Amino acid sequence: MSILVYAGASQFLAIEMISKGIPWGPIVIATFFINLRHLLMSSTLSLHFKGHRLRTLGLLSAQLTDESFAVAMSNPSKISNRPSYLFGIQMISQIAWVAGSVGGALFGRLIDHKEYGIPFALSSLFICLLVIQIKKVHHLWVMVIAGIFSIVFKWAFPGNWYILLTGILASGIGIAIEMAGRDKK
Amino acid sequence: MRVTMLILILGMGTVTFIPRFLPMAFLTRWGLPKRVKEGLDYIPISILSAIVFPILFFNEEGTVGIRAHYILSAIPVFIFSWKAKSLWGSVLLGMLVYWGLGFVL
Repeated sequence: MSILVYAGASQFLAIEMISKGIPWGPIVIATFFINLRHLLMSSTLSLHFKGHRLRTLGLLSAQLTDESFAVAMSNPSKISNRPSYLFGIQMISQIAWVAGSVGGALFGRLIDHKEYGIPFALSSLFICLLVIQIKKVHHLWVMVIAGIFSIVFKWAFPGNWYILLTGILASGIGIAIEMAGRDKK
Repeated sequence: MRVTMLILILGMGTVTFIPRFLPMAFLTRWGLPKRVKEGLDYIPISILSAIVFPILFFNEEGTVGIRAHYILSAIPVFIFSWKAKSLWGSVLLGMLVYWGLGFVL
């Protein structure tokens, strides 16, 4: 499953739905909506791969994840028009993902997943990935705005629509702030 | 059952591919208005904020609240990431602080 469905949250959801006896149709639809946020990431990456072959783009987009996207965008000049560099980041991350799935299935029972700070490991990773995206003051503002939006949206809407909505709105506000600043000068 | 599982996994594989591929396929050919391009500069920070902040302010039951254990662990990780910009270091520090706080809280 980890080879073909490269999406953690969807896998957990699918397992929960399967155990409740829900048929495959609704599970596939739910998976689709959970992963809509990738629309935004794919759009952002597209700026750096203008005119590349569809085969290359297909390969890159099949392996797009929150994490590899964040690593790539922490230094976009490195991946710009260098599909093999992005592919490298993604391959390492996918190998680790599949290895982790196998390892977890084989040895998961040996340790208590609530021990040794494990619940906070992924959160720490994302905090660091967040911090390395901050490259100018505007990013800091957008972080605060997006933080507030995401909490409100998660509270107000089911599922994880909040990521997609926050992504669109907070970026819109970001560009508005940037332009307002430019007008003053 | 076997066949249904296969359909399920293939179906999930397909729908996770679509939103990842379509923008990449089309936008690399069409080009975008300047403003949208500039707006895309804020996508990484927005999306990562949207991933991080709800973790700190939602309880396991899914209700809004101050998740003190997480927030207190997050602060040193924020500062460390800012100074050191090290993924491994941040993860290790985060786990350590979270684990340590577990004895105090």
